[in-house]
Amino acid sequence: MLLMRNKLLFACLFAVLISTFSFAQDINVNGRVTDEKGAGIAGATVLVKATKKATVTNDNGDFTISARNGAVITVSYVGYLSRDYTVNGATLNASLVSQSKDLNEVVVTALGIKKEKKALGYAISEIKGDELTQARSVNIANSLVGKVAGLNVTSTATGPGGASRITIRGNASFKGNQPLIVIDGIPFDNTNQGNTVGTWGGSDQGDGMSSLNPDEIESVSVLKGGTAAALYGSRGSNGVILVTTKGGSKSSKMPLIEVGSNFVIEDILNKKLNDYQYEYGTGDKGTGLVGIKPTSADPNLNQTNSWGAKLDGSSVIQYDGVSRPYSAAKNNFKKFYDIGTTFTNSFAVSGGSDKIAYRFSMSDLNSKGIVPNNTLVRDNVAININASLSKRFTVLVNGKYIREKNKNRPRVSDSPGSANYTLWTLPTSLDVETLKASKYNADGSEKVWSNNQYVQNPYFATEDYKEEDTRDRFIGVVEPRFNITDWLYVKGRAGFDKYNRHETDITPTGTGYQLGGGYNTSLRDFRESNLDLMLGFDKKLTNSFSVNAVVGGNRMKQITLLDGYSGGPFNIPFFYDISNVSTPNRGTQSNYYEKRINSAYGTADISYKNLIFLNLTGRNDWFSTLAKGHNSLFYPSAGLSFILSDAFQMPSYVNYAKLRGSWAKTGGDTDPYQLLLTYSLTGATQTVPLAQVGTNQVPNSLLQPYENTSSEIGLEARMFNNRLNLDFAVYKRKTVNDIVGASISPTSGYNQALFNVGEINNKGVELLLGYKVGNSKNFGWEPSFNFGYNKSNVVKIYQDLKQLFIEEPRPRVSAIYQVVNAPFAQILGNGFKRDAKTGEVVFNAQGLPLTEGLKSFGSGISPWTMGFTNTFKYKQFGLSFLVDAKFGGYIYSGTNALALRYGLSKATLPGRETGVVGKGVTETGTPNTVVVAAQTYYSNMYNFAEPFVYSSDFVKFRQLIIDYTVPAGVLGKSFVKAATISIVGRNLWTILKYTPIIDPESGYSNTNAQGQEFAGLPVTRTIGVNLNLKF
Amino acid sequence: MIRKIAIILITISALVSCTKDFDKINVNPNSSPQVPLNYLLSQSLLYIGGSAGDPGYATWRANLIYALPTTQMFSSLSTFYAGDKYLYQADLSEAYFVTQYPNSVKGLVDIINQAKADPKNVNIQSIARILKVLQMSLITDLYGDVPYSEAGLGYLNLNYSPKYDAQKDIYADMLKELTEAGTALSAPATNPGIADFVYGGDVAKWKKFANSLMLRLAMRMQKVDAAGAQSWAKKALDGGVMTSNAETFSIKYANDGGTSTINSNSYNLGEADVPGHRNEVSKGSIQWSKRLIDLMKARNDPRISTIAILKSGDATAAAQKGLPSGLDAGTLTALTGETGPDNYSRPNPIMYYAKNPYILLPYAEVEFLKAEAIERGWYTGSAATEYAAGQAAAITQLSVNQGAPSLTGSVAAYQAANLYPATTLADKLLQIHTEMWVLNASTLNGFEGWANWRRTGLPVLTPTNYPGNATGGTIMRRLIYPVSEAGLNVNYKLAVAAQGADLFTTRMWWDK
Repeated sequence: MLLMRNKLLFACLFAVLISTFSFAQDINVNGRVTDEKGAGIAGATVLVKATKKATVTNDNGDFTISARNGAVITVSYVGYLSRDYTVNGATLNASLVSQSKDLNEVVVTALGIKKEKKALGYAISEIKGDELTQARSVNIANSLVGKVAGLNVTSTATGPGGASRITIRGNASFKGNQPLIVIDGIPFDNTNQGNTVGTWGGSDQGDGMSSLNPDEIESVSVLKGGTAAALYGSRGSNGVILVTTKGGSKSSKMPLIEVGSNFVIEDILNKKLNDYQYEYGTGDKGTGLVGIKPTSADPNLNQTNSWGAKLDGSSVIQYDGVSRPYSAAKNNFKKFYDIGTTFTNSFAVSGGSDKIAYRFSMSDLNSKGIVPNNTLVRDNVAININASLSKRFTVLVNGKYIREKNKNRPRVSDSPGSANYTLWTLPTSLDVETLKASKYNADGSEKVWSNNQYVQNPYFATEDYKEEDTRDRFIGVVEPRFNITDWLYVKGRAGFDKYNRHETDITPTGTGYQLGGGYNTSLRDFRESNLDLMLGFDKKLTNSFSVNAVVGGNRMKQITLLDGYSGGPFNIPFFYDISNVSTPNRGTQSNYYEKRINSAYGTADISYKNLIFLNLTGRNDWFSTLAKGHNSLFYPSAGLSFILSDAFQMPSYVNYAKLRGSWAKTGGDTDPYQLLLTYSLTGATQTVPLAQVGTNQVPNSLLQPYENTSSEIGLEARMFNNRLNLDFAVYKRKTVNDIVGASISPTSGYNQALFNVGEINNKGVELLLGYKVGNSKNFGWEPSFNFGYNKSNVVKIYQDLKQLFIEEPRPRVSAIYQVVNAPFAQILGNGFKRDAKTGEVVFNAQGLPLTEGLKSFGSGISPWTMGFTNTFKYKQFGLSFLVDAKFGGYIYSGTNALALRYGLSKATLPGRETGVVGKGVTETGTPNTVVVAAQTYYSNMYNFAEPFVYSSDFVKFRQLIIDYTVPAGVLGKSFVKAATISIVGRNLWTILKYTPIIDPESGYSNTNAQGQEFAGLPVTRTIGVNLNLKF
Repeated sequence: MIRKIAIILITISALVSCTKDFDKINVNPNSSPQVPLNYLLSQSLLYIGGSAGDPGYATWRANLIYALPTTQMFSSLSTFYAGDKYLYQADLSEAYFVTQYPNSVKGLVDIINQAKADPKNVNIQSIARILKVLQMSLITDLYGDVPYSEAGLGYLNLNYSPKYDAQKDIYADMLKELTEAGTALSAPATNPGIADFVYGGDVAKWKKFANSLMLRLAMRMQKVDAAGAQSWAKKALDGGVMTSNAETFSIKYANDGGTSTINSNSYNLGEADVPGHRNEVSKGSIQWSKRLIDLMKARNDPRISTIAILKSGDATAAAQKGLPSGLDAGTLTALTGETGPDNYSRPNPIMYYAKNPYILLPYAEVEFLKAEAIERGWYTGSAATEYAAGQAAAITQLSVNQGAPSLTGSVAAYQAANLYPATTLADKLLQIHTEMWVLNASTLNGFEGWANWRRTGLPVLTPTNYPGNATGGTIMRRLIYPVSEAGLNVNYKLAVAAQGADLFTTRMWWDK
């Protein structure tokens, strides 16, 4: 409905645009922009406020722009105070005052308080909304990649509706490490929906960020240090991402209409598996060393293995009993995966008067994934009203409604129902189109194509399996503010975040591993309310001193309800409803979780002569989830900003320099109901009720809040006529008493225990360097480089525990651990036994390598992250590209392990006919000479992690944007105020990687279990077109 | 002005100060702080049978994939059935270990702890102690030295890394537990009644089971500690062991509440009446071994038509053909010309009905062990009589399976054809343990089948030597610990140092 309306509207407006070219009378205004000394300023922006038409001055400072008489023109240049002029005739000369003495860039800080950036004692990075709209990733978190120093965004190989992982300044917690997302002052639940993908596979159900509409976003502020986030208390301990959405403007009397249309196509990056071998086909080795072809349709012969004979094109029987040429099937990926498309239409109207400003927007996103039948529809509606009800009383009302509908989210990782797993492991001589043709048995059940019924026919998995989830979400805030005097105000804020999510999963009748089929439906009802009341004070006490202070309280209440039914098999085949499952075989769940946090907070900014700024904050949280006596925590913070360039005589090339420092303590709690042991009832049999200990996690009644201390020192500078822009920071974070559900030995009776553990340290540096190479009317070039290095170290875990298990991928020979005295998220796995003297691999009498147990292969998280952006401008054209890179991390590739196990990769070619002699020594130290059949040798490698751990370093040409702004002259007489068209490409080129077969960014999990990969969705590139019109 | 500010500040403090109801908020409304112990006992029994939780996960891996094939009862052409080829696959080898501790062991430890507070719970406490011995004996017989004394105490003692006890010590304590719990059982006290899926609360039967299990454990020590074995066997037999199939230890299932109310072997093997079954038999993954079928045929064993059937539906004894152990499809073709498993005997559906009881210690085993004890001079009586009683019980035991024919009429002929030898001890032991081997195969009791074979080496089995096997072509002596245990439990290394390398070939204490 919304989509249709949107499309209609868009079509109408477009028609109008084409047919109209006559309207009001503009004149050409000529002028010059000069500085205090009268010298022309090159590259200054001259903007006609009403029409948003803009131009840039040439090398002499001259410009020409068309505007009506009486129009307001804003002239601006970085480092200078912007100034407004009214057009009065054809000549307009402007002079700007350098603002190096008064750099008043304003940014949004915690609790939505706007502050001058120079007053901040901590690092904050802001990304403008248009960077996100142009970059166009379905999940906007992925558009943040490479943009902010110290921000590490990891996308998951799980499809368009999937989640992402964001961390700021490293990983400080054994538990969650993602920052708090705040939208217009309201904390926004960004947790994973439903189950995350783990050892046993599954599909990624997305998070909160994946629901946002980039068109609505005015700016994104990344609050990096503890001090920046301290006012959010426990929830800000991992930093905060503040999203500010667009509002109307009180000054624009005429409504501004914006229409955007965007079309993106998505295609897999590597259509051919160039690391796969296509010399040998389906089958096993025979009695000797050499592989043989299948001789019957027996699934034991027609299996997942590609250890068969040399491909010779001869006729060979396949799983469906049909004989086909025994030849290479090289294009299975290309044949199976679709080209994904995403079509977005958005519309917004905004405007205002003296009393009110408003903005209403809606958008519709319609996406088809690369996996057949995977679709996503997302509709966003937002309204934002800011009203001055009286001289002293203003109210801000802001509401958003989001509806998402996902169908058939792709399953990844382990096999059941995962088309991706099948594609990665399909024998080299089995054409995926054969699977398409021979999908069913006569009774409609799945024709199992191998000896492993857990590996589905991919067409059965994508056409017969049904998954559907819908989420309705409402976020609203009402924010009244009353100015008691001109320096004292009271402000309230009531915010709600509520969503309903309904998911239905159908395992169809006749699925290979579950012939009876199964049904699963679940309903999640989440609501969080935040009530804030603040008293604010803002006054200049003397000429030198001014104070800006706020005290307030917050009450947070969060309730989650989870209801569900599941069951199987179906009584009547192929009829999919829970009523079709007999009662004893139905499972039900109904769970209720509630938690509360009460908080009192205060902040005070004191400035002296606009030279030194001191920011103090304090917050106390009381948690319902922790035991009495342990449930209160106070977080103080302090930040100091010192404007060096004002305090001291600086060399003339330094336009601005600021030194900042800050210190903060934050912390947090845990989930509800973790303190006591309880029992759950699991059903009944033989008229006897059944019950068991309700948890696999040892509860702990003495839990305390964890504490996180952070500090930073930073330097900001502008030099060489404000051309060079530098921001440098050094920081330290330390977490103690972390609350962790840590894996423990199952022999304890539990798989996890919850305790206050350990200590993690993070240290790092961040650098942002920007330079304006040219900035004239017709040409501009601004390269910008950001870089972050974070060194994490797990100092202590629990008592004498040296390592902490997190999660393992399906082969279960490696896992991610936290290890004492090592960086966060270590990959530990089965390693080869090596000769003590020579380091050579030691082989047993059978000619197979011996194991030495768990070895550490490095961290799954890259400590080095960087991005290099270049923005060019030539006349009406703009071009920008982003190259980003991560270094220093590792990844265990389960897909590579599978490829070796099943004889798929090229690495399995040596010794196919003659057998393999492993390079190394025997237990007595003599060279290994035992000949082993290739299948035996290589598939045995699956028991080791060592051959499959790779460096996850990469350099990627991440993004390219070319845009064209229709010249004002062309639009001049129409009522279209601005028109921009842009072309966007993402993930265009992997410049450097070390992982065969897979992309280094192929992880399936956004948890702390980073550094593992297993049969994910192939990585894609996207190319899109944006059209934006303003009326 | 001051008043306004004061009002606002008071409102702010009202907003944050109300934390009184925090205790109430943090009470989980979905699970109970206390439940009747009977409920916990029932659930623990389902866990011991391997059906609760992920139905059949542990049973499939430990029993059907490793124990039965490695003892050459089952055969498979699939390398996934790693047992008859001695292949190591970590997740298969570790399954029983990682499943049973957090399920049955945890539950039983909790019952024992709760029950001790009230003397009227003496029976449920004693039953839980006996069951814990049974469960721990199954675990230690698969892996050797394992956490025992500190196991399952994650909550009660905050012990997250239980030490590994030496198997010798585990056996000593298990025997002590059986003595104490068996003695403590009291007929007049309350019993769990229908919550007891084994004996329906019959305390006398539990006493006999405790002694029968004591006999099994005693005889297991025969190789390594003959004197101990002798005295404990005598004690068990003096105390009174099972006397009929009605006293066999088996967990009863009703198939009335989802997959956890189904025999876990049936869940894995079967189809027919089992919802969500794994269907392993009809997929051709599992066949009876050539060794077993040949042996049963040679002995005119009447059980053969009950346990075996061809894909064609032919269950006649003469038509049955066992699949040689240690082959895959390719090597089978090379050896026999057969291209697949279809012409070999597979488990008969009688073996895997959902409601079949899950047998863990049949009466017949007691008779055979008693015969051996007598033969070794550890007890008085007629070994031949006990042997014959064991034969009869083993054959008629099968009738507990749904749809099984009564074989009572075939007992005499079978006994006549397989008389107890009057010759050497070795001959007698061979007969006794051949009967044990068939008994364990026909009751799908791979745990005991493998353990008893490792102690006695009877009947003699020819090892296979499949390429890539992890034993160098010798029959496996244990399962390998979970890979994760090395990372999770600091005591793992000590266990490996004490017992020997963590390999299939390392022999555990009673197997030296």
